[in-house]
Amino acid sequence: MKRVDIGVGVGLLILSVWLFWYAGKYRDLTVHVYGPDLFPRILAGIMMLLALGLIVNAFLGRCLKKEDSIDPRGFLRVLVSIAICIGYLFLTNVLGFATSTFVFLFVLMTLLKQKGIILRIGASMAASLIVWAIFRYFLVIPLPEGWLI
Amino acid sequence: MDWNLLLAGFGKVMLNPVNLLFVFIGVTSGIIVGALPGLTATMGVALLIPFTFGLDPVQGLVMLVGLFTGGIYGACISSILIGIPGTPAGAATLLDGYTMNKKGQAGKAMGMAVIASWFGGTIGALIMTFASPQIAKVALEFGPPEFFSLAFFGLGIIITVSGKSILKGLISGIFGLMLPLVGFDPLSGAPRFTFGSMELLGGITLIPALIGLFGYSQVFQGIEKILILPAVKTELKNLIPKLSEIKSVIPTMLKSSLFGVFIGAVPGTGTDIAAFVSYGEAKRSSKHPERFGTGILEGVAAPESGNNACAGGAMVPMLTLGVPGDAVTAVLMGALTIHNFQPGPMLFRDHPQVVYPIFAAMILAQFVMLFVGLGGAQFFARMINIDRRILTPIIFLLCVVGSYAMRFSFFDVGVSLIIGIIAYFMNYYGYPGSPILLSIILGPMVEQNLRRSLIISHGDPTIFFTRPISVAFIIIGIFIMITSYYRVKKAMDREAQSSSAQEKEEAN
Repeated sequence: MKRVDIGVGVGLLILSVWLFWYAGKYRDLTVHVYGPDLFPRILAGIMMLLALGLIVNAFLGRCLKKEDSIDPRGFLRVLVSIAICIGYLFLTNVLGFATSTFVFLFVLMTLLKQKGIILRIGASMAASLIVWAIFRYFLVIPLPEGWLI
Repeated sequence: MDWNLLLAGFGKVMLNPVNLLFVFIGVTSGIIVGALPGLTATMGVALLIPFTFGLDPVQGLVMLVGLFTGGIYGACISSILIGIPGTPAGAATLLDGYTMNKKGQAGKAMGMAVIASWFGGTIGALIMTFASPQIAKVALEFGPPEFFSLAFFGLGIIITVSGKSILKGLISGIFGLMLPLVGFDPLSGAPRFTFGSMELLGGITLIPALIGLFGYSQVFQGIEKILILPAVKTELKNLIPKLSEIKSVIPTMLKSSLFGVFIGAVPGTGTDIAAFVSYGEAKRSSKHPERFGTGILEGVAAPESGNNACAGGAMVPMLTLGVPGDAVTAVLMGALTIHNFQPGPMLFRDHPQVVYPIFAAMILAQFVMLFVGLGGAQFFARMINIDRRILTPIIFLLCVVGSYAMRFSFFDVGVSLIIGIIAYFMNYYGYPGSPILLSIILGPMVEQNLRRSLIISHGDPTIFFTRPISVAFIIIGIFIMITSYYRVKKAMDREAQSSSAQEKEEAN
């Protein structure tokens, strides 16, 4: 936790310094003295102090004990699921919402090792059709269209 | 209190079958969401908001209020049946509820929980209905300094919700204040931090940020851990306790309800605090405190009436002042804003046709919850058995659709995903998400009213200290910050002492 806290503290310090400097560009945009740059600079100043506090606490050994850690295999699953989601977003415009959603759900359930292919197919199909129908006919909110529905 | 408007509000909700249906859908969805560990009422409301876009505002809002009500009660179902709280609000009910289950009294525990929830929720809703218009009248006198001080007071609550590290809570809070900086400056209209991007001109909108914080982060944890829960095999019998048993817990329920409303009205506290405080007080004032924890009806009634009453209390500052009472009301504020209603005293003046139906829906939702909770107890018990490997992808889908539906924008989906990834890591490294939520909501209010006040006073900061209401909010805010800091520090010191005592024991 100490290294993470120091890393986060340094990152926040860099962010605050950048924010303070960048906000200065908005100073001359309006006639008001208290213009668009005021609040960002106040926040940048406070964040700088907090980041320094975090770094000092880390060096003094006053870090929180880590109660739970990220499971490496589980984290890999998370990364894969994010990649699947990005692929799903591209596929939506090609195949259409309902079809790509069915594929998305089926692939995710397979990733989570849901046994029972009939259940996976049934649940994916039901969920994608229900959500599509609610948005299309009940809420009348347009969803991406493609070659299929 | 305008009785004509209140009656009209009741008429709009109760005499319209469609509105009744939406309350029913909201309460039922809320009970399901609350019953499933890993899902929270906050997430449920955030995910349901996009489904309200195409609806009449009153229909959407009554459904969300129903979900809020159902979600708080629903948490006790898994607490009682499998010993795992559905949401933090159900954690106190576990102490006696699960013990009652082990004694073969699961049905009675579930029945008592729903009756106590109805009791507390109704009291909370009634207090909300009658107190809110009076508070709103006072709030109409507020100017920019008062609104800034009020927002400062609301932000001071960050320390209360910071968890184990106040420093990390404050960092989360300041990070949350930075997110609304993107987009148009609220006073001058100048674009800020858009880097030439058309999408960023619209800013980082609230709903995608909320879905990222409370939706995606939970989904990613669910995918990482693939939570396997014990199956519910209990047959629920004798659901309704005897009349004499219900009568014996009425004083407990009444006291807990009043505690709950008061705690809910303090911004930043939540239903979990209300539940534990109610339980603790019931035990402290009981003639037989040693019986608490052994499976008694008071042990279920106290936290359930407290946490449901808290919901009504939390709605009061949200509706009247525009300061959320807890995380769910913060999300509800977002729902009101999306439907072009600004929470605060102006809402009562300009849109009473929305406010009074919300009051009516909150009261009606308690009765719907009683009916659905008693009638559907067996069904909700079975819902806990849904395979997480099917449920988690469906929730992932709802997060994607929810973040897309607001502006039909894949950009919002991307922003939501990024915030979700950040929140997922934040959970592991001790950075709480609730301060970000508070800050996203209150940040624009803080900035606008700070700058307006300084413009009015020609740069003189004493404007905040020369107006009595403003001074009062600042003093209360500082008082709450200091007391919360010492409370958190005391709890941390106690924990450090008990863990070092444990280590010494193990070493011996």
